[in-house]
Amino acid sequence: MPNRIEIALKPDLFDAEGAGIQKKARAYFGIDVLSIRCVSIVTLDVELTGDQLDKIQLELFTNPVTQMSSRDPLPVPFDWCIWVGYRPGVKDNPGSTAVEAIEDILNTRFKKDEAVYTSKRYCISGSNLDRASIDRIADKLLANSIIQQWKIFSSTEWDPSMGIGIILPRVILNHTPTVTVIPVESDTDLQRLSRERNLALHPNDIPVIRRYFTDPGVRAERAKYGLSDPTDIELEYISQGRSDHCNHNTFRGLFHYRDMVSGECSRIDNLFKTCIEAPTLALKGKKPWVVSVLWDNAGAGRFDDDHYYVITGETHNSPSNMEAYGGAITGIVGVYRDPLGTGKGSRLIMGSYGFCVGHRDYSGNLKPHLHPRRLLDGVIEGVRDGGNKSGIPTPFGQVFFHPGYMGKCLVFVSALGIMPARILGEPADQKTTSDGDIVIMCGGRVGKDGIHGVTASSEVFSEHTPAGHVQIGDPYTQKKMHDFLLEARDAGLIQFITDNGGGGLSSSIGESARFSNGCHIELEKAPLKYDGLDQWEIWVSESQERMTVAVRPDHVDQFLQLSKKHAVESTAIGTYRNTGKLHITWSGKTCAHVDMDFLTSGFPQWEFDAHWLAPEYRGLLEPVLGDSYDFNTLVLDMLKRPNICSREWISRQYDHEVQGSSVIKPLVGKHRDIPSDACVIRPVLTSKKGLAFSQALLPLYSQIDAYHMTACTIDEALRRLIAVGTDMDHIGGVDNFCWPSIQYHPVHNPDGRFKAAQLVRSCQALRDMCLAYEIPLLSGKDSMYVDGHLAGKYGETHKISALETIQFSAVSVIEDISRCQTLDIKLPGDHVYVLGVTRNELGGSEYYHMQGYVGLNVPRVRPDAFKPVYRCLASAIEKRLIHSAHGIYSGGLAIHLALIAMGGDMGMDIDLSRLPTEDISQNVQALFSESPGRFIVTVAPGCRIEFEQLASGVVCACIGQTTGDQGNLVIAGLNGQPLTHISVNDLRQAWKTPFGELI
Amino acid sequence: MNRKPDVLILTGYGLNCDMETAHAFELAGARAHRVHINDLINESVSIHSFQIMVFGGGFSWGDDHGAGVIQAVRMKTHLGRQLLEFIDRGNLIIGICNGFQTLVNMGLLPGFDQNYQTRSVALIHNDCGNFRDQWVSLKINPSTPCIWTRGMTQPDRIQDLPLRHGEGKFYASAEIIDRLARDNQIVFQYAKPDGTAAEGQFPYNPNGAMMDIAGICDPTGRILGLMPHPEAFHHFTHHPDWTRRQANPTLPKPALGIRLFENAVQYLSKDKG
Repeated sequence: MPNRIEIALKPDLFDAEGAGIQKKARAYFGIDVLSIRCVSIVTLDVELTGDQLDKIQLELFTNPVTQMSSRDPLPVPFDWCIWVGYRPGVKDNPGSTAVEAIEDILNTRFKKDEAVYTSKRYCISGSNLDRASIDRIADKLLANSIIQQWKIFSSTEWDPSMGIGIILPRVILNHTPTVTVIPVESDTDLQRLSRERNLALHPNDIPVIRRYFTDPGVRAERAKYGLSDPTDIELEYISQGRSDHCNHNTFRGLFHYRDMVSGECSRIDNLFKTCIEAPTLALKGKKPWVVSVLWDNAGAGRFDDDHYYVITGETHNSPSNMEAYGGAITGIVGVYRDPLGTGKGSRLIMGSYGFCVGHRDYSGNLKPHLHPRRLLDGVIEGVRDGGNKSGIPTPFGQVFFHPGYMGKCLVFVSALGIMPARILGEPADQKTTSDGDIVIMCGGRVGKDGIHGVTASSEVFSEHTPAGHVQIGDPYTQKKMHDFLLEARDAGLIQFITDNGGGGLSSSIGESARFSNGCHIELEKAPLKYDGLDQWEIWVSESQERMTVAVRPDHVDQFLQLSKKHAVESTAIGTYRNTGKLHITWSGKTCAHVDMDFLTSGFPQWEFDAHWLAPEYRGLLEPVLGDSYDFNTLVLDMLKRPNICSREWISRQYDHEVQGSSVIKPLVGKHRDIPSDACVIRPVLTSKKGLAFSQALLPLYSQIDAYHMTACTIDEALRRLIAVGTDMDHIGGVDNFCWPSIQYHPVHNPDGRFKAAQLVRSCQALRDMCLAYEIPLLSGKDSMYVDGHLAGKYGETHKISALETIQFSAVSVIEDISRCQTLDIKLPGDHVYVLGVTRNELGGSEYYHMQGYVGLNVPRVRPDAFKPVYRCLASAIEKRLIHSAHGIYSGGLAIHLALIAMGGDMGMDIDLSRLPTEDISQNVQALFSESPGRFIVTVAPGCRIEFEQLASGVVCACIGQTTGDQGNLVIAGLNGQPLTHISVNDLRQAWKTPFGELI
Repeated sequence: MNRKPDVLILTGYGLNCDMETAHAFELAGARAHRVHINDLINESVSIHSFQIMVFGGGFSWGDDHGAGVIQAVRMKTHLGRQLLEFIDRGNLIIGICNGFQTLVNMGLLPGFDQNYQTRSVALIHNDCGNFRDQWVSLKINPSTPCIWTRGMTQPDRIQDLPLRHGEGKFYASAEIIDRLARDNQIVFQYAKPDGTAAEGQFPYNPNGAMMDIAGICDPTGRILGLMPHPEAFHHFTHHPDWTRRQANPTLPKPALGIRLFENAVQYLSKDKG
């Protein structure tokens, strides 16, 4: 008989969780609540004796010091009670650990259908609370209908003996696994079946698929295995393998690019090959530190003779947009499996995040599934739990607000790992599968998770339908697997390893079997979360926390034993073969038999028209804007801009010091509150070497030209590294494209051809900058279709497309971390220098944005002029000539002077007439231009001569001095007139105004 | 010459600070061994080969059902007797963050009257409502019997350490708190950077801990539990002010957190021979 235990804090203890909800209810909806007390509910769907129940209630689920508990409803008083629990099939992490703990403490094993479910109820007190307000708190704060169910009770509706009753979100499928044969009589039939079964086959691929399955030779071979027309599992495999996600059809497409003004046409065959692969291979030849690129789950560079670092970046946009917490935690935990599956396995050493969302205070008519504020809360928490619980530091991240992300938010997650250069004498970056190796699936079990991605979200829910399409990552299970796999790696037990992400086993086995040229999978051996999955579902399920490993037959026992020690589930599900075939059986009967090379042969390339119209022909122009006279208010208002102000509340939620590797933290300065240019970690604790990491994104510039958006983004990421003390010789890059749909459609995507041109130009900038700055692309991903259709005021829908966005990550190795530098000014009396030229480049700037303009003069990167500046600064830092270094980024010189002043809690006297400029006629231009290539540096008087000698060949000018503690930012204008006189306290107060109350 | 003490650092089940803790103990002069919890339980490694045992940081069992709760139950169920013997033999135990949470849930702390099986204090959700990573200034009780903090109790001394947790608010009944104070079992208290008491003020006291308590010891002073992470301050570049100090050498030089571990090593080599 199922039982239920309710647990709550004793009444005299402060309920921090309840208080947090109370605060949000007031801040978000203006609903005033007197108090909220939380009750945790553990529902035990397992046979237990009374003694056993007592034991687990008292020893496991109740802290005698702080908590009370009962198997009857706890008499916590309320006016309203909201119960929230998971829908069937949603990953209930606390439920799973409860099973582990109960099995341990009672020394029993749960039977197949026994389980523990956790849920919560919130006891809300307050006068004047109506059902609508409570419903709003439930729907908009506590629960997401995609993964959760809830019930509301008023105090009169509550039965104190029944409470919520016993709610068991079991998954019951009542289905016999069935392989279905799909007839391929005509292209039209196959197209229709593809639509009906959500196969998402591209129309151009259909004839190729039909030709294969109707080929007499293929049919004769298939007949030997009892097959005729393709089975559903075969078509699912082909669909996964051909998807844009797995195959990057867009980037490998053929682009017909046309300049609409000159009429000039060009043909770009494969953006990936021409703009990513070619420059990276060219640079790999020049840079011996590049170890492994363009084939594995992440790229690898040399850290030192004995270690390689690995790096990759991903996005998890669509799932996060539907269920922010679940999507983001699945994203970060998922990207951590990439380094783990790189080479023979890498240990995770850091992660980072990038969130692009609508404005937190959005109050317009559009109705996104989640309000941007709630969405941001959720993605912050998801990355927090995913990173912190994995024991991986998160020392860098960025947030960007723009209404274009209300259609679909962007959640970037990046991961770095480290591997020994050799394992038992063998190179650790290399791996292969061989005929006879055993295919082992490690980690979690297979359920209906992530099948066909978000298309499943339109299905109708029933009480026991698994809500599997949105997942909740499980960092605990993955951490155990991580520790296990690294031990197995060091024991030489791993031949090949890769992760199960998009496409599940279909993609991990499909790709790893290419090395051995075939496999035989006995699919019935894959462990399931619950019965009733069809074979194709098991094959493409994206259930998380799983890796696929190739193990030599004579190592299998040792591998499984080690797995058991780490409490990780591992199962042999087949054998790699050299048959040229992907062969899947179910209890001995063949359900798939496809040539290994089928996916790479004969499929047509995708084609796109790309029409470019230069910004001046799209009506963009420079605003006719006079100079300002109230710079004090202007600077303070700029500091309050959501994309400039302090977001300390986010950084502090992320453990950035676990692993003991922190060198340059995410927040620096005297008061430890200014975001650093980059972070530096020391991944090998016995070494004085460091790894520096930075990221940038500048989507506003795409409003003018995605070429310059991309160039400036790369330049910023690079400068961020230089500012903390890296040199130019070793810079690795990771590109993450997030683009609205580029497929032209006269009704649904009328500007598709322009967005395609923007993509072409962006890729060209990526190529040009990487070659100019010598940055090989160690890894990269693309995420297309960043569009959404939102309901408006009258129920009409609006298509909202994101700005064309690239996040660029840069990584470098620092020889001696004791030479690293931070941005905060350190001592009064130091000289303040600006390196680089300030130009009239305010197009797409934060200042124009605040004034409601876009402008035309987008900032341009001039690598030939910038490189000597960067080398000069790197050398000055290396020679310890400077006291602080900081790049000038979004917001311009004024904002970044303010940041370094706040960092030092000191004033500065600045004279703009000494600033190196070109075409600058106004003070606002000098202060808010976003010209790239620039830094602010402070130098002690004693180092002045040596520094100026070093900088004699580059554009560099002393524009002022640092002044006393808690002084003022005093700026004199181009003609010497006073512009600002603001105390650092006032700067800080303004900068912390928007989000300063958030913790 | 004395043999280096052997330190047992628990791993597995979501624990995660084992690598840097091992490194920090090595720096402090010990021999560090990272051992999976299950290797202790299945007795392929004996707890009695060690003189120091570390319950380190992390998220054991995901910290579901209360931080450190399931770890405590598992350790108590399978290793309870051996742990009591380990203590009886005069060995040392430190619990850091998740380890501290585990020690109080097992009852190894506060260990009044050397009864190591009673839960009487708790570490609960931070008052601020969230996980928090920050550095704190700590005052060390000059009268504590704690062997881990010997020589660190000068009245004007501040120990800076990083902390990062969601459940670090020290909570106990008034009588228990009184007794901890009376018996000088309160070792670390959150303070302001100038050394005055935090008096509950956020963010100096980052979690709302009663009496600003950041760490306590047992009556023998051999078992210590604390929320901040001494192992994460084993190198000068860990300190948030290190680049400021390079520019301005007049700033005071903070003492590394591994001083705690050096004390343990010294205690074992000197006092126990």
